[in-house]
Amino acid sequence: MEFLEFEGKTTEEAIQHACEHFQQPPDNLEIEIISVGFPGLFGLGSRKAKIRAALRSGPELSEAPGMDADLAARGKEILSRLLSLMGEAAQVQATLEGDRLSLTIDSPDAGLLIGKQGQTLEALQYLLTKILARQSKKKLRVMIDIESYRARHEQALVQLALKSGEMVKRTGKPVTLTPMNPHDRRIIHLALQGDSELKTMSRGEGLYKKVVVYPAKKKESPDNSPAA
Amino acid sequence: MKDLIKFIAEALVDHPDQVSVKEIEGEQTSVIELKVAKEDLGKVIGKQGRTARAMRTILNAASTKMRKRAVLEIIE
Repeated sequence: MEFLEFEGKTTEEAIQHACEHFQQPPDNLEIEIISVGFPGLFGLGSRKAKIRAALRSGPELSEAPGMDADLAARGKEILSRLLSLMGEAAQVQATLEGDRLSLTIDSPDAGLLIGKQGQTLEALQYLLTKILARQSKKKLRVMIDIESYRARHEQALVQLALKSGEMVKRTGKPVTLTPMNPHDRRIIHLALQGDSELKTMSRGEGLYKKVVVYPAKKKESPDNSPAA
Repeated sequence: MKDLIKFIAEALVDHPDQVSVKEIEGEQTSVIELKVAKEDLGKVIGKQGRTARAMRTILNAASTKMRKRAVLEIIE
């Protein structure tokens, strides 16, 4: 690695000069600050900031610029590999929109890949998110779908929310739903948001919380801080 | 099955060269032992065991297809 010295009024400016020189974003540079700049008073006693910078070598560099375009391809490749290792003959399609990567699996074994209450699909999605996050260092939202399970699942959740809402209105008593992950809870909250007679809140600890649906009028209903 | 766990683990850790997976086959159940570098232990377990749980879920799905049972053990 070859270090070069750069100067500027401030360290930021010096770093900027370094970036211009190497034609690289600061993330790709190894930067060492030699002295912090000091603006001085009326040009007296001012000191320039000095840094040393060199191109960072190693894998980070190679995947820096063109990485984004490759993310979809990479996600597809990793997921296909995972599925084939699971013994699945499946086709994967990927599209990237902003920070959302959507992958669709086409497999004769959809039921198995979805799992009980979508567990397996959830696990695949979680692991793929982790793996890609490690490789790209960027926040990415990965969504895996199979046989439009997501849409069906969302519909089922909305139905469940509406049904529970009806029940609460009829009986005047709160209804507690089964523990759900944040994404599913959000769907429930949103489904009942417009109903002024009902309130919803999440209860419990950790990732899987229960949603409680309760009548809005009753004041003695749980008044803990309504978590998201 | 062994390769599946190996692939996932190697993609998650900082030291993929120190990942080793052993499969001990039983009549119905096989045990898959995963060993990683000490610093990487947290990475394969995850927050509140979430990563380990996800790997077990996937392993279960894969083993169902092969009409077997597999258990994942993470070894320190």
